[in-house]
Amino acid sequence: MRSLPCLRLSFFGAPRLLALSALLVLGISGCATKPPADDPEAVADYQQTNDPLEPTNRVFYAVNNGLDTVILRPAALAYRYAVPGVVREGVHNVLSNIGSPVRLANDVLEGKPRRAGDTTMRFLINTTAGLLGIFDVATKWGYPAHDSDFGMTLALWGVPEGPFLFLPILGPSDPRDAAGFGADIVLDPFTWIGTGPNRTGWTAFKWSRQGMNAVDSRERVLDAVDQIKKTALDPYATFRSLYRQHRRAQIEDLRKDNRSTVPAWFTSPANASTN
Amino acid sequence: MITRRYLLSFAALSALMPLSVRAQSADKAAAFIKSTGDQLVAVVNGPGSASAKRVQMTKILDADVDVEGIGRFCLGRYWRQATPEQQKQYLSVFHEVLVTNITAKLGEYQGVTFTMGRSRPQDEEAVVSTTVVRPNNPPAAVDWIVANPSTAPKIIDVVAEGTSLRLTQRQDYASYLTHNNGKLDALITAMKNQVSQSS
Repeated sequence: MRSLPCLRLSFFGAPRLLALSALLVLGISGCATKPPADDPEAVADYQQTNDPLEPTNRVFYAVNNGLDTVILRPAALAYRYAVPGVVREGVHNVLSNIGSPVRLANDVLEGKPRRAGDTTMRFLINTTAGLLGIFDVATKWGYPAHDSDFGMTLALWGVPEGPFLFLPILGPSDPRDAAGFGADIVLDPFTWIGTGPNRTGWTAFKWSRQGMNAVDSRERVLDAVDQIKKTALDPYATFRSLYRQHRRAQIEDLRKDNRSTVPAWFTSPANASTN
Repeated sequence: MITRRYLLSFAALSALMPLSVRAQSADKAAAFIKSTGDQLVAVVNGPGSASAKRVQMTKILDADVDVEGIGRFCLGRYWRQATPEQQKQYLSVFHEVLVTNITAKLGEYQGVTFTMGRSRPQDEEAVVSTTVVRPNNPPAAVDWIVANPSTAPKIIDVVAEGTSLRLTQRQDYASYLTHNNGKLDALITAMKNQVSQSS
């Protein structure tokens, strides 16, 4: 299952300080009013929604939505208008290939050898035969893409999701995914290179990567997001629901992926004795 | 001894029976989704004006989708609190909303194709997996939940990339109702406005 970045209306790489200061703000601002205890169904709803910071979250949703309307969405529209689909697909593949090291680290931390193997093979094949990742040859050769990030790793380790968060710039999240976002930055080798004296090139590379990532993910969900904003009575609640469902589905896929590590062509001793 | 063995095999058989019946019903559900899907794709990619397509869509929707069941599900606990009159009003406007939302997506889905995946029984229902491909879009994994697969199959939910359409809708309505003091009339009015704005 390919990732559906729709639910992250985000500038992935934009200043992390902002995210941090936002977390501080969250600590001091409003909470949702709990329903009266004599209405058990309303209480059950409240608990299921699990959004105690809803008023604050809605403020950040409005802010993000405003930024999206004036910056990211127009950028994504321009990108779609100016760049042909085939080229956009290539750009997406390159960006995804650059993200391979983080994915591999998480596959390993999740203890999923076949996923780690897929990621490794995808990186080797697509970087070479796929011309620096432009073409996704690996999928055709039997190494499909999958999602993997530290939020999912934490989930597999048993860390609960926690209450819903809507973070400035980053968009819908929860404490587990917010922590995962930070950990993925640490796990990314590109965070640690290009810090020497001749770093102008690297800095340019990093910022273009983040900028392209933002525009690419936004462009891929233009229609879906427009549709949701048009048809939902409460877009905030709809995005909250979609984000959570999508994350749960990704985690469920991860949990269920227990493919054996013995390749099909290898006759294992156990099989050999029964044949 | 013989009776015992006979009994055992009978027990084994009867244990297996429901399994094969369920597998059959999953096959039937798959055939049902294939036929519905083909009809939908034909309408989306076919000629005809927007209004003609809307009529055709409504026909498919009424025949193959349990609109009333989905409508009830989307209202959740508020369904029981509603008066019969409110329930009637709500269901009729819900039907309109569904048709409008689907019709609004027609342009976006121009050139759509789908491939059938595996199907499996799940409780009383069957889940049919498909992959939907639209031009300029990454392929999407879409699961169709079919109720009464072997007798009177009806679609009761569509799960796109792990997100359930009816659950999302239910949470949208629940949030709207929470912010409007649980007044169902407010929801019905909002839904009506939505339909009149988009059509």
